[in-house]
Amino acid sequence: MPVINLQPYSSPSYFLILLLGLLPIMIGLYHGKRFRVYETIFSLAFLVLTFGGDHWQQGVALIIYIVYQFILTICYVHYRKQKNQTNIFVGAVLLAILPLTVVKFTPLLANGKITLGFLGISYLTFKTVQVIMEVRDGTIKDFDWKLYLHFLLFFPTISSGPIDRYRRFKKDYETIPDRAGYLEDLEKAVHYLFLGFFYKFILGYLFGTLWLPPLQHWALMQRHAFGGLGLSWALLGYMYDYSMYLFFDFAGYSLFAIAISYFMGIKTPPNFNKPFAAGNIKEFWNRWHMTLSFWFRDFIFMRFTFWFMKKRWLKNRIRISQIAYLVNFLIMGFWHGLTWYYIVYGIFHACAIIINDIWLRYKKKHQDQIPSNKFTKGFSVFLTFNVVCFSFLIFSGILDKLWFM
Amino acid sequence: MTDTEKVVAILNDLTGEDLSNKLDENIFENGLLDSMATVQLLLDLEDKFDVDVPVSEFDRNEWNTPNKIVAKVASLK
Amino acid sequence: MKAGKQLWRTFGPVLVAVLAALALFATPWRGLKISSQTVKEAAVSLSNNVYRGEKIKDVAVKDNYVPFIGSSELSRMDALHPSVLAAKYQRGYQTLLLGGPGSQSLNHYFTIQEMRTQLRNKKIVYVISPQWFTPQGQRADAFGYYYSALQAADWLLQAKNTKADRYAAKRLLTMPSGTSSLLIETATKKIAAGRPLLMVEKLMLTQKQIILKNEDALFSTIDLDNNWQHIQNEAKKLPATDNNKLLDQVATTQARQETKDNQFDIKDSFFKKELRGGRRLPRLKDSQTRFDYRRSPEYADFQLVLQQLAALNCQVEFVLPPINQRWVDYTGLNMTMWRQTTKKIKQQLTSQGFTNIDDLSEDGNQSYYMEDTIHIGWRGWLRMDQSVKPFLTKQQAQPDYQINDYYLSQAWQQKIVK
Repeated sequence: MPVINLQPYSSPSYFLILLLGLLPIMIGLYHGKRFRVYETIFSLAFLVLTFGGDHWQQGVALIIYIVYQFILTICYVHYRKQKNQTNIFVGAVLLAILPLTVVKFTPLLANGKITLGFLGISYLTFKTVQVIMEVRDGTIKDFDWKLYLHFLLFFPTISSGPIDRYRRFKKDYETIPDRAGYLEDLEKAVHYLFLGFFYKFILGYLFGTLWLPPLQHWALMQRHAFGGLGLSWALLGYMYDYSMYLFFDFAGYSLFAIAISYFMGIKTPPNFNKPFAAGNIKEFWNRWHMTLSFWFRDFIFMRFTFWFMKKRWLKNRIRISQIAYLVNFLIMGFWHGLTWYYIVYGIFHACAIIINDIWLRYKKKHQDQIPSNKFTKGFSVFLTFNVVCFSFLIFSGILDKLWFM
Repeated sequence: MTDTEKVVAILNDLTGEDLSNKLDENIFENGLLDSMATVQLLLDLEDKFDVDVPVSEFDRNEWNTPNKIVAKVASLK
Repeated sequence: MKAGKQLWRTFGPVLVAVLAALALFATPWRGLKISSQTVKEAAVSLSNNVYRGEKIKDVAVKDNYVPFIGSSELSRMDALHPSVLAAKYQRGYQTLLLGGPGSQSLNHYFTIQEMRTQLRNKKIVYVISPQWFTPQGQRADAFGYYYSALQAADWLLQAKNTKADRYAAKRLLTMPSGTSSLLIETATKKIAAGRPLLMVEKLMLTQKQIILKNEDALFSTIDLDNNWQHIQNEAKKLPATDNNKLLDQVATTQARQETKDNQFDIKDSFFKKELRGGRRLPRLKDSQTRFDYRRSPEYADFQLVLQQLAALNCQVEFVLPPINQRWVDYTGLNMTMWRQTTKKIKQQLTSQGFTNIDDLSEDGNQSYYMEDTIHIGWRGWLRMDQSVKPFLTKQQAQPDYQINDYYLSQAWQQKIVK
């Protein structure tokens, strides 16, 4: 029997099958109806396509994971109706993160021989943790388990985001747009879809498939350059090319996920907003992988500072924010994976944002002495761009190959 | 002091600007409030109004002007 | 009908785009005509798109280009390179260079079978590198680089239940690239097991083949390496008449000028780059004493090529190149092993009726035969031309091949011919 497996958004046939399957949903929404049963079957079919065939181990892992998170969340919701102890809440969050932690640690322990987990586990964890936190806060009260499953298993975003929020998703799912609104959504969806094609399959191909391998080869050939640090022009070229590739590949992918969501009447939030036009690092994180950085802002950074200030452990607000940035970006680094370069990437961005804050405060104090014009604005964009590209050089892992392999 | 005056006082303190005449100004879009200041705002509101404002309650679109904050506080009381 | 209009505005362009893409790729139209200048450049470009593709090779062979199949030596383009000689003198043929570093018999087999319609009864020059015949044989990564899905689709659609085809299928399945497409993998598994393909599989393969052929026709001429310019420059260094004595003088002068730095008569640029101006030499001293080319899966892969050439009734000149004797002495390559290797290759050839063999394997001590350690150059190219020129310019006797499947067997792969 031929094994069927389709990787999301990877081939023309995937898009063709996807659009055909979407057609009934679109016709339904156009006439103001959501065919929930069909939508569920259709979603399940695509999950089987993604996690079936020779990826069946991933499929099994997904099912176990979902059952686990489902039971955990139901239990916590049930508990929260009666009591609200902090240690139970912390325990629930830790249990929600547990599977991801195990998946990230096992390759280290088993020398990479065993890989548990499945495509998208990192992204699903954001959703489950977020729901538990909001249940604790009381902002999610009427917990609908069917909708929760739908939210977790919403297949357009299951593998790599964008990371949606439960309450936002619920609103879109339950309110069917009127015809004019839906027609507008469709127009946006088609636009996103084709922009995604342009990003991922043309620009991503140029930067990633055509230019990246020779640049990498060339850079690795010069590992002895610059006193053994391997710093070379090729490495510089690799840095810029990799940054472009990372952006266009990931932004393209996000656009596909958003486009497919829009076809289904769900307005999945955007993930990128011209990140390389940012004038400082803080602004960069408001434009780059937005759903991730907003998630971190809302569920790590703000909660951490809130808790820190409420307990009055430190008076100095600046110091608190600096610690919070470090915690925030370290966790983000660990989330990417347990390698030195992801963690250094996190620390690098924390430092960059702390320095940026110091500068912003200094600038505010000395407003009258520091010039602000077209040139300084252009320079700040240029500087930010280069700092960011350098962080992606760390992120790419090429330094690991250059120095330690 | 009315609720509005109290909220404006908190905001003025946080942003270092006088917002008493800008009750519908978007305080996030113009960069007056960052995440740190937001947390401080929530804490101050808890303090002054004796309401519980969890971080998840905080949706930027619903809290982005002094007037909206006043309305939110009223609804939480 | 405002909504209808808006729907059309949204989806009309998508529909047009999909139809245009289908028209461009999924209908059998085969791209635009290729100019003779493009063929000229492509034939000597050594571009992988040409090697893996189909259209340019077909046009070139129809146009009296002779495939020169080999590996890295083809890129040693000094003034005596076969392509330069063919470009300079009116010999009635041009060279179509096929192969590069790491391409071996298995890749060549898939490339040749792809050209079967055009190659029937044609002449071919095939440079064998004994260095291919390592205990592991074809390296998977190199195979992947020279392999294309188009070759595989072409091959699968004509594969029969013969020993050779089953063997080729099994080999393809050992390569990661051969299993990168589900359809091709499934079909190859069937051929390996001696089962016929289903009608629907054939249909899907044909459709895939159409798309790949269009891709090949549209894109394979993009970004060709500009060796043609280099070849014309080299041709200017040659005497006006096609005279061996005069050519030998040119070869000697050029070689002498380019081998000043080292005791191996290796081209200076190669010595400087690959051997770090001699800094890598100590590490390489006696580094090849254990090299062994006598037992290798490559012998069976080579047999695939031979049975394909026989089936196409091609007239083939095989060249066994020399190896730099001074380099052999330095690295300690075992010459007994070397002789047994060439003997084994020659036995496989002659016993099946492939009798045009130019054996230069003992000529490694001739001055300026080698451009570097293992690659032929200057006077070596000229020496090879002594057999290639008459072979290609004169009428050859009808070949009489007797293919023997024994040469596909494990027993032959592991046999040492003394």
